[in-house]
Amino acid sequence: MKKELIELNVNGRTHELAIEPSKLLLDALRQDLQLTGSKRGCDDSSCGACTVLVDGIPMLSCTMLAASCEGQEITTVEGVSEHGSLAAIQKAYGDWGGAQCGYCTPGFMMTVKHLLAVNANPTEEEVRSALSSNLCRCTGYSQMYQAIKAAIEAEQKAVPST
Amino acid sequence: MSDFSIIGKPTAMVDAAGKTTGAGKYTDDLSLPGMLVGKILHSPYPHARIQRIDTSRAEQLDGVVAVVIGKDAPTPYGILPVGHDEHALVTDKVRYVGDNVACVAAVDEATADKALELIDVEYEVLPAYFDPEDSMKAQSDFIHDNKPQNIEKDYHHVFGDTEKALAEAACVAEARFIANEVTHAAMEPHSTLAAFEIDSHTGKPGRLTVWSSTQVPYYLQHKLSLVLEMPMAQIRVIKPLVGGGFGGKSEVIPLEIIAAVAARKAQAPVKITYTREEVFWAHRGRPRTIIDLKTGADKDGHITAVKARVVQDGGGYCSYGVVTILYSGALLGALYDIPNIQYDGYRVLTNKPVCGAMRGHGTVNVRFAFESQLDELALKLKIDPAEIRRRNLLKPPCVTINGLRVQSYGLPECIDKVVERSGWRERKGKLPKGCGLGIACSHYVSGAANSIIRSDMPHSTVNIKIDRDGGVVVYTGASDIGQGSDTMVAQIASEVLGCSLGRVKVIAADTDLTPIDIGSYSSRVTFMNGNATLRAAQEVKKLLIAAAAKKMNCAAEDLVFRDDRVGKKHVAAGDSPAQDGRGRPSPHELSTDGQASVSGRVEGQILRGSLQQKRKDEGPKDAMTFEEAVVAAIDFHGALTGTGSYAPPQEARGGKHKGAGVGPSPAYSYSAQVAEVSVDEDTGEVTVHKVWAAHDCGRALNPVSVEGQIIGSVWMGMGQALTEEMVWKDGMLMNPGLLEYRSPSSVESPEVEPIIVESVDPEGPFGAKECSEGSLAATIPAISNAIYDAVGVRLHESPFTPERVLAALRAKKAEKKIDLTEGVDPTAPTRFREHGGSLWFRGKGPARHPLDPARREAPAGGDD
Amino acid sequence: MSLPQFRLLRPRSVEEAVGYLATHASNIRVLAGGTDLIPSMRQKLFEPEYVLDVRRIAELQGIRPQRGVGVEIGVLTTLNAIEHSDFLRKHYPVLTEAAATVASPVLRNMGTIGGNICLDTRCLWYNQSLTWRKACGFCIKKNGDLCHVAPGGTKCWAVFSGDTPPALLCLNAEVEIASPSGARRLPLREFYTGIGDDYRKLQPNELLTRVFLPESSADYRGVYRKLRVRGSIDYPLAGVAVVVKRSDGHVSDARLALTAVNPAPVLVKGASAMLSGKTMTEELADKVGDLAARTAKPLTTSALTPEYRREMIRVFTRRAILAIANN
Repeated sequence: MKKELIELNVNGRTHELAIEPSKLLLDALRQDLQLTGSKRGCDDSSCGACTVLVDGIPMLSCTMLAASCEGQEITTVEGVSEHGSLAAIQKAYGDWGGAQCGYCTPGFMMTVKHLLAVNANPTEEEVRSALSSNLCRCTGYSQMYQAIKAAIEAEQKAVPST
Repeated sequence: MSDFSIIGKPTAMVDAAGKTTGAGKYTDDLSLPGMLVGKILHSPYPHARIQRIDTSRAEQLDGVVAVVIGKDAPTPYGILPVGHDEHALVTDKVRYVGDNVACVAAVDEATADKALELIDVEYEVLPAYFDPEDSMKAQSDFIHDNKPQNIEKDYHHVFGDTEKALAEAACVAEARFIANEVTHAAMEPHSTLAAFEIDSHTGKPGRLTVWSSTQVPYYLQHKLSLVLEMPMAQIRVIKPLVGGGFGGKSEVIPLEIIAAVAARKAQAPVKITYTREEVFWAHRGRPRTIIDLKTGADKDGHITAVKARVVQDGGGYCSYGVVTILYSGALLGALYDIPNIQYDGYRVLTNKPVCGAMRGHGTVNVRFAFESQLDELALKLKIDPAEIRRRNLLKPPCVTINGLRVQSYGLPECIDKVVERSGWRERKGKLPKGCGLGIACSHYVSGAANSIIRSDMPHSTVNIKIDRDGGVVVYTGASDIGQGSDTMVAQIASEVLGCSLGRVKVIAADTDLTPIDIGSYSSRVTFMNGNATLRAAQEVKKLLIAAAAKKMNCAAEDLVFRDDRVGKKHVAAGDSPAQDGRGRPSPHELSTDGQASVSGRVEGQILRGSLQQKRKDEGPKDAMTFEEAVVAAIDFHGALTGTGSYAPPQEARGGKHKGAGVGPSPAYSYSAQVAEVSVDEDTGEVTVHKVWAAHDCGRALNPVSVEGQIIGSVWMGMGQALTEEMVWKDGMLMNPGLLEYRSPSSVESPEVEPIIVESVDPEGPFGAKECSEGSLAATIPAISNAIYDAVGVRLHESPFTPERVLAALRAKKAEKKIDLTEGVDPTAPTRFREHGGSLWFRGKGPARHPLDPARREAPAGGDD
Repeated sequence: MSLPQFRLLRPRSVEEAVGYLATHASNIRVLAGGTDLIPSMRQKLFEPEYVLDVRRIAELQGIRPQRGVGVEIGVLTTLNAIEHSDFLRKHYPVLTEAAATVASPVLRNMGTIGGNICLDTRCLWYNQSLTWRKACGFCIKKNGDLCHVAPGGTKCWAVFSGDTPPALLCLNAEVEIASPSGARRLPLREFYTGIGDDYRKLQPNELLTRVFLPESSADYRGVYRKLRVRGSIDYPLAGVAVVVKRSDGHVSDARLALTAVNPAPVLVKGASAMLSGKTMTEELADKVGDLAARTAKPLTTSALTPEYRREMIRVFTRRAILAIANN
């Protein structure tokens, strides 16, 4: 199939890509932009390892066509760290054992980033519910809750509330 | 103040940032210029002879570079020396749906996919065997010609006099248990990238480099050498980050060999990454198992004898099967004191994807049966389930009747801890209707005392070098698969050397750079590679000590290395290196020459100059920085390197009987768990609310990791107990994906309270034992026992899916009989249950499928 | 797994979309949230020459209450938007509850109400890769002539597994369908055929555009109960939606619908009559539960056994009715 030229806005930068219309966003990110942080874990849209933010909303990049995302702002895990340093949630996942093998971690980073963006102080049930978009096979999720709690505390310390 | 500065402290994994930022590279994240995509053609038949393969149409497709088939690499291999029954691509027969027939290397995935459709294969379909008990009765068409009755291996062990003990027992329980099949489902699908380099001297393809998602890079190097007929020295295996293994990457997986064979033929780098469905076909998971178990006890609840017959449905090839069936018997021992054990184990071949090693290898299903039956005995004898376990404790140090040496034994404390934390005494039997508590125990090896390939070679070797800049580099063959072994290695090296963690760089699992470690399986890495690291660090430290002692004009044994400083015992005895008073460095002095101890912040060259300058100016010192000690040692000894290795001691290698090599370990971990559940009596749905899990890991080198491993094990056990099950129909896996193979999500995952018990093993590194597998097995029976406590039904078949639980509840209430479980009573299962429906249409109508018995004179092995 | 290759069309209006459909009707699939179509295309269940990506058609977005009439919901409205709509929660609670149980949060961010209505019927013998289906000799629904679920039969029993349609059926929803000849409205109950391989009455040149909930269905109490193994991600294995209007402690009107146990979501015939004018009691709930279980025809299309899923229809119906009674 003939390739088509599209513009993809990823992590604040616009890229011009020549891709086949059938190309999945995940493959465009990984193969064409070498943004390999987003992972493929399943083929049936169940695992969440490929989660990215599209206009700020978590979506599965393995279940979207790259060409369908023209004009939308895509954020991948590579866009999470801040000014070259770990974001609070990234630091906390490391410190609290939220990541073991790390393969699902980029997906969880995006899910949690969105959760904390819309709900700065979620209850444990809200956290559990939000995290149910993503599968993890190592942690049993428990240490992620501790990590998220720690990240919230770190954020609150960094930005004293009024 | 603790005795250690690094050990025992919660420590973030050394590679954590790469994982949370996405910068860390897994195999599928790698690419090379000119790299091709490899795709594998899989068998659509469970058992068939290949009459003809024609790849010409595929080869002609634009974009296809090479097509490989069995004859391109006909040497058989297998993970066990006794089980070399696999080929890179089949040469004569396919033995399961999903078996590997051909591989296409093409410019992209779509082209490769298209080419697969153009490969013409002619099969002669053979009768197939799907149920192990049927398979054992086979008279013809054996899956492997050299395995009559399709029995891969059977073992018959008798220790003591089981028959007599059972006859004399005050109480005997006997039942059949069935555990259905589960798989690892690691989040990362297997991936391998293989590339040859052109040799400068011959001008021909020479060395091969393979990047692969493996737990066993050295075995991979060995098998590649065998199949490709290349010297091992010409093969380099590199393990990038691995996205979970759980045993599913602990042997050579077909794609690893196929990628190399394809790269050789294509004369270009080839990457193969499995689809999730292919991961399920590659499998190597926990076999579905029939356990006929009989246990006797005296009137006080002391177990007098255990008799077990175990049948494992191994799938089409040997894989780790011989080891699995031995573990199932051997680890009846080493948990409790059992004077008489009889074990009959059958590893059976069937035309299904291959089973292998999975977390808790060989022990899990038998442990489910045993701990369930122990509760049945406790009930009959009116003994509290926690108490009956206490009455059967080992008295270590000891050697069990089947030859397992037990030294450290934290099980009593584990039981006490979970009983206390769960409020067992106050709450057991007193929870509201439908709620219950259950207890169970389990254990696991800290590495197999005998390696797969029998030899006296050390199981782990580690090299350490320290450079003039004070950087410590540890070269370890240990494979970090997410469990944190790189971090463990860094912690041990830095603890021994008394330097900060930030100084230590770990180079791991690269066969060109790192000395041999046999891999991440059987929970051996902390114990064995940890010990090797410890010894390597101690060896290099000797050089530092000698130099520092000379420099500081004191005896070697007076020196203390800690927190990036070398001091004298009376000097450095504080938590902080900064001491004041006479003869000790003042805070001011510390802050200047202490710059060196601020790891990584001082440019090496400048630092060295300043140190040398200082050295000239100073006489004997009372304290040195780590760098000063390093520079002094280099000046005295030259290069600073140390090597350490580990081989399990002879005393821990087991008895003399046939199969005695499997089961022995230098040390065993122990776990006790209490699960709290509720059961919805109308729906049969089981909710696990909390699990208290106490695990004796010897010593927790990194508590955050140990807790993570305990929680993860318990959680995976819960998956096997409740939601995970590979569903079969005539050799077809009905649920080869993460949507239908149900690994638990966060919402139904319970709180797990990990409780670390430290028995401090005499031979473990700093006393450490394994922590990643031993807790899994107890979870399943703890949940089963809790279900019994909650609603009074005992399931003898796992997983405890709602239809099984409801069927048991209905039967108990003697309500109107509805066949909720398609003829298999979960409280007394007799056989494996297959998925409903039919692969072919039996009876009238056209023969639509080559396996349709109507098309054959003799009926095929299947029975729908 | 790569997708089959196709040409992508991205219309900005219904008119443009319908035009494309008319031109390429023989070989086109409509893409909205993608959560159903994309995984199926990976498995080569669909290999269309054209994919019509309707996500940019702004007029198909949004929840628009219409005073005195009801509410109009654009088909591209995400399940997440439905779940969080205050208006719908207040007036059509059964729909928000059903929407909130679909799959997982991320899939609800993507999946649309239109997609959930049009969800392809599912079967363990069908939703598999091409290689897998080859190995089982294919089936009636795709490339074959045999049903593995009901051997010997000629009907496809693939099961409808959407969560919101039973709620919508209870609410007497209508759907608007656009085609080259204009728009037509159809009660949702007439949209499904009950045949697994030809499950909906939507011509290849037609596009589902809007869903209407009549005001007469507003303010019914409603409950959706769903059987699944995991608390997230899973498709329903059985689902029950119930709506009830009460006056003076009596049921004045009620409807009951099932999903995931038949090739279509179905209104349970006779349930309204059984409930209307009655006080809700355990006995009545049992009776309605029995009726629902008789309506359900679960087969081995899905996980868990058919008999168990039928039993759960009974239990969940009973529970749903009692939940409303005690609300």
